[in-house]
Amino acid sequence: SAIEGSNSTTADAPVDEDVLAWTKAYRAENSTAITRDETLKSNAQSALQWKCVETQVEGERLHYGRFAVSPFRSGQANTVGVSMQKALLGEVEGAAVSCATFKNVKSEYAAMKGVEETPMDILVNLKELVIRSDSDEPQKAIISAIGPGPVTAGDIVLPPSLEVTDPTQHIAYLTKEVSLDIELDVEKGCGYRMGDHTKSGDGRFYIDSVFMPVRNANYSVHSYESEPDVTQEILFLEIWTNGSITPEEALHEAARCLIDLFLPFLHPKKKEVTNSATKMHKSFTMSQFNSSAEMSAKEVDLRHVYVDQLRIPSKAYNSLKRANINTVSDLLDYTQDDLLSIPNFGRKSVDDILEALQAQFSIDLPENNPLCN
Amino acid sequence: MKKIITLSAPPPSQFSFLSEFQFSLPELRQIQFKSYYYFIYKNLISELNIFPEIFDLNQEFQFELLNKEYKLIKPEKTTIKFHYNTYSSDLYVTCRLLRRKKKIEIQKQTIFIGSIPLIDYQSTFRINSVTRVIINQILRSPGIYYNSELDHNGISIYTGTIISDWGGRLKLEIDSKTRIWARISKKRKVSILVLLLAMGLTIKQILDSVCSSKIFLDFLKEKKKKKEHLQSTEDAMVELYKQLYYIGGDLLFSESIRKELQKKFFQQRCELGKIGRLNVNKKLSLDIPENEFFLLPQDILAAIDYLIKIKFGIGTLDDIDHLKNRRIRSVADLLQDQLKLALIRLENSVRQVMRRTTKRKRLLSPKNLITQTPLIATFKEFFGSHPLSQFLDQTNSLAEIVHKRRLSSLGPGGVTRRTAGFQVRDIHFSHYTRICPIETSEGMNAGLIASLAIHANVNNWGFLESPFYKISKNVKEEKIINLSAGEDEYYRIATGNCLALDQGTQKIQITPARYRQEFLAIAWEQIHLRSIYPLQYFSVGVSLIPFLEHNDANRALMGSNMQRQAVPLIKLEKCIVGTGLESQVALDSGNVMITKQSEKIMYTDGKKISLLNNTNETVNTHLIIYQRSNNSTCIHQKPQVISKKFLKKGQVLTDGAAILKGELTLGKNILVAYMPWEGYNFEDAILISERLIYEDIYTSIHIERYEIESRNTNQGPEKITKEIPHLENSVLRHLDKNGLVIPGSWVETGDVLVGKLTPQETEESLRAPEGKLLQAIFGIQVTNAKETCLKVPLNGKGRVIDVIWISKKENSSNYEKIIHVYIAQKRKIQVGDKVAGRHGNKGIISKILPRQDMPYLQDGTPIDMVLSPLGVPSRMNVGQIFECLLGLAGYFLGKHYRITPFDEKYEREASRKLVFSELYKASKKTGNLWLFEPENPGKSRLLNGRTGEIFEQAVTVGKAYMLKLIHQVDDKIHARSSGPYALVTQQPLRGRSRRGGQRVGEMEVWALEGFGVAYILQEMLTIKSDHIHARYEVLGAIITGEPIPKPKTAPESFLLLVRELRSLSLELDHAVIFEKNLNIKFKDV
Repeated sequence: SAIEGSNSTTADAPVDEDVLAWTKAYRAENSTAITRDETLKSNAQSALQWKCVETQVEGERLHYGRFAVSPFRSGQANTVGVSMQKALLGEVEGAAVSCATFKNVKSEYAAMKGVEETPMDILVNLKELVIRSDSDEPQKAIISAIGPGPVTAGDIVLPPSLEVTDPTQHIAYLTKEVSLDIELDVEKGCGYRMGDHTKSGDGRFYIDSVFMPVRNANYSVHSYESEPDVTQEILFLEIWTNGSITPEEALHEAARCLIDLFLPFLHPKKKEVTNSATKMHKSFTMSQFNSSAEMSAKEVDLRHVYVDQLRIPSKAYNSLKRANINTVSDLLDYTQDDLLSIPNFGRKSVDDILEALQAQFSIDLPENNPLCN
Repeated sequence: MKKIITLSAPPPSQFSFLSEFQFSLPELRQIQFKSYYYFIYKNLISELNIFPEIFDLNQEFQFELLNKEYKLIKPEKTTIKFHYNTYSSDLYVTCRLLRRKKKIEIQKQTIFIGSIPLIDYQSTFRINSVTRVIINQILRSPGIYYNSELDHNGISIYTGTIISDWGGRLKLEIDSKTRIWARISKKRKVSILVLLLAMGLTIKQILDSVCSSKIFLDFLKEKKKKKEHLQSTEDAMVELYKQLYYIGGDLLFSESIRKELQKKFFQQRCELGKIGRLNVNKKLSLDIPENEFFLLPQDILAAIDYLIKIKFGIGTLDDIDHLKNRRIRSVADLLQDQLKLALIRLENSVRQVMRRTTKRKRLLSPKNLITQTPLIATFKEFFGSHPLSQFLDQTNSLAEIVHKRRLSSLGPGGVTRRTAGFQVRDIHFSHYTRICPIETSEGMNAGLIASLAIHANVNNWGFLESPFYKISKNVKEEKIINLSAGEDEYYRIATGNCLALDQGTQKIQITPARYRQEFLAIAWEQIHLRSIYPLQYFSVGVSLIPFLEHNDANRALMGSNMQRQAVPLIKLEKCIVGTGLESQVALDSGNVMITKQSEKIMYTDGKKISLLNNTNETVNTHLIIYQRSNNSTCIHQKPQVISKKFLKKGQVLTDGAAILKGELTLGKNILVAYMPWEGYNFEDAILISERLIYEDIYTSIHIERYEIESRNTNQGPEKITKEIPHLENSVLRHLDKNGLVIPGSWVETGDVLVGKLTPQETEESLRAPEGKLLQAIFGIQVTNAKETCLKVPLNGKGRVIDVIWISKKENSSNYEKIIHVYIAQKRKIQVGDKVAGRHGNKGIISKILPRQDMPYLQDGTPIDMVLSPLGVPSRMNVGQIFECLLGLAGYFLGKHYRITPFDEKYEREASRKLVFSELYKASKKTGNLWLFEPENPGKSRLLNGRTGEIFEQAVTVGKAYMLKLIHQVDDKIHARSSGPYALVTQQPLRGRSRRGGQRVGEMEVWALEGFGVAYILQEMLTIKSDHIHARYEVLGAIITGEPIPKPKTAPESFLLLVRELRSLSLELDHAVIFEKNLNIKFKDV
């Protein structure tokens, strides 16, 4: 083909033709722009532009859009393409039912009278419900239907910030004159979240919410020569959404998410400071932790070191024994003043003990109780 | 309202449906239904008819059953859930008591004599609320078989084995010196003369009737020389008795010996039965009447004749593995045997009671004579513990059907798995179209547990038959005939490898054909028969594998076995590529509701379906809602019809376990790619996308039953209550006021499901004498109770869906209470779960990737599952590649394919051509040119989801039907830090269910020794195992933070060894001899 696809992924003919046509038009447009604006010409690369090439509503729950972005220097398109694809698939937020509260239902594994589906089946249907939320706060919606007849997404009573994409989406079928009352909690999020079953009870069931509004995303890179010996690239992004947002919105959203992710890199200094700060903080806490750990280990040790191991004179030893001081750790509870108050315990004995403690454990006894002062 | 079926002759119409043969498949559970029907309408009556008249000792009274007055009471209809009992029917017989001499009737009564478990609509039996199935046994049919064997000296001898229907076997041998011996029930051999004489023949008779009397005369002469000459029957009997019971010395003939022999050998031990008689007559060309069921002297004489002929090369040896020599012992036969046994017991008991009552001069009445115990006990024992009455495999609907069609060589009268040789297990040429050559279990039972081929059926004699299409020049003569294994050998049967399309052409068309155990190439004109269906040779499970012909048999075996292990998923999906048998399996599984006649639907909801039939009668059928199967999977029926619609007979009303819209749906169509991915699919590991989790693609419901009983202990009855003082309130939060868990609550590991207190003996101190004294003086009754609550075990969390309280009467005053708690779990697929395709391609999930990281197709679709390409060539299951490519084409074309295997008969490489043409069509239709790239057809370029780069090689991508198997990590994962120990050895217990430990075996010890890690080894062998003392010390040391002490004494296993040696009078001591004074100091061991 006329276009050399360095990373040509769409090999199908109609797309190729499309690419041809579009690049031609783009080039023409660009060239006129360049002639008009001298500053742009001096710049090696003209500003990136994107354009929606094609949109299609393939169904209430399947919207398709194709976008072209150009011009890129060779190699850039892939960088943007990969990250955009990943952001589209993983970062775009959407709304989903997170919890359903049934009236007069105890377990999802029991059939209801006059309803063809079991609560379990209804939960499965609700999980697939495509809903659009303009608010970041959790919202409540209510299903209150009376049979006989089908209950669809259109029967849901919604607050103004919520909107159902496909009103025909099936929820349940009532075969009798019974009422079906379900309260729905709608939340916004990205990715998916497993329902927390531990909290469920009394007809309240948490549903695994799948927030992802983008069903699929694809990109392809095509290169062309804008001028002799200057290859430029054009990036095509294809987006399929579930209808709760348009492909264009998804594109905006994904780009915003990416920019948010890259923003911190724009402030290199600040980043450095915070980084070192955290490091310092870390080391500090570590040393503190270590010392305290060492201390406690030592204390444990001291509990097993008996005073006779201090090799102090027998007079002092006997006095300590009489005062029920058996281990070094016991000894550490006493100040020098306390020791002096023990009968038959003179200054000499205190000095002996201090010396022994200093020599063997490098511990000092305080002169008097700091708390008393 | 009880309905009574009066049993008389079977209505003829009931059997007729079995004799009409069409090209359509037979009902897959026919083998069960037909057989049970046969039992109820034939065997039951015939056994009751031969119940003897019983007289008392004075021959004054006579007791008898009245023929043709037997009644079976139809059991009352109950919902399955609540009958914690047996689905059975009560049998009533009319019997009367006569005064013998004058034939005056004293009394006539209709009496309940016991209940017989009934087969239900699913062809299963329900015994004590457990679904059971009786599988058919395949064993050597009674008759006589000649064979050549090697004796213990390695010299070949000829043998003729008489296999009885009931009792032992008799083996005749002719050795190299042309002496003939008989061996009874594998005991010591006796001279044939002894046997014949003992049976009542004289020497003259023997010599007259045997054709080559010279051998006998020689034999006699020899005997004479040794002075072992026997003349009379009595002498022979004594001799036989001696030989049989290994009694030496002199024994005089007595009547008791005759009786004993009569009883042990002639009567019961060698009953040939109807089939045996037929076989013997046929083999030995005798014309003894058919109703002579026992072995006669003439039989033995004829058998000897034949044996001698064989010795001289006349006559044929038999192949015991040939299906003509093996018969099916069906449900009917097994039940008949049990009934026979029960009636013999009943007869004895009647006789006993009669004797007792007449002795005491009491009045006799039929009601007093008959007890229900013999029948009830015999059937209970049979259904409960007979090896052929099995716990139904209910993993999915296919598993059920396959289990019901199973043929077992094991069991009473059959072979044992340890002694069975290769010959019995091997595929035999006579299995053709009767027993599946592929489906059997792996491992110990390989070849012993077989499966019935789809078109095969059992004839009245118990032999396997299969339909064939008879080819004739006259079109009117063409028809389907049923042939048994013995019959089809004489026909030339076209195997169906190629078609006979151009009848008009002059060229002789050659076709592969089967004739006398060989495969030949024969012209079509010479063919007698042809098979009627390409899958005729295979069982149900194998027939569900598409592109079966491209798979190695071993992998096809695994595929068919693994389909039975597939878990029913919550969102079902029909396979894109199938064989067309899915609907038949679904219909015949009994798990879906089917209209019994033309009906109108009046009402449906999740609980029931109301139907209005022709007679303007409204019938309510209750659906099965989230019920537990025998294998803890979930059985759930969803209505599949709209009300106010008219339906014809046989239409499907509901979905069932792994059945969607009348088709078996075991798995999901998943986008797979065959490529390596960073080593995560090394050695059959499988990489999957997160989509399979959050879209609930492989999510299944598992329902577990927990059971607790409250009994009477000798301290008083156990109490079920909410008040458990030992436990915290948080674990008791789900209990209602009676102490039972509230249905609908979500319970986690450790939560109490049923609060129970067991009264316990008082404290230790109070049990001491002084304590008893205190008790006596002050009258303090210190009762202490122990909590024995039912708690949720590890990995058991889920929603309580049902609590059932059953009170069973133990004896007059006590009620035994059993409580069942059902907990449902929703399990998503996770790392460690086993998944498999239908071609034996199995693997374990090794990693779950987010969808944006998976490799993706050129249109951006992420792959769902990445399989290893190296898993295909060595396993030779190429069918999976065909399936996944055709699946891809079908997915894009919106088509479902049902392809009967062996399509290569239409043209060479038909499968490949079909797949490629469909892929081409799909790529043309949808504009996705990558679907079919001419330079690498069937492959496509994939892109790396992480980098966006294109992969170097084109990759096979397609939609494969993958199953999630019941082997899930949640049921298997296990770790132990401390736990219970075995009582005797004091080593950690084995097995996850007992919170056991991981065994450090011999080889693991070698490894530790090899690395020289002495301390770890010591730890493994002592404190982590059976060194009780050290175990406690370790615990103490860990708590106080001290170093772990080294054990100083020996572990328990060593002490055990010492004790065992002591009991062999060997003393093992640990002694220290002091150098100074040579004193010996013993240490305790």
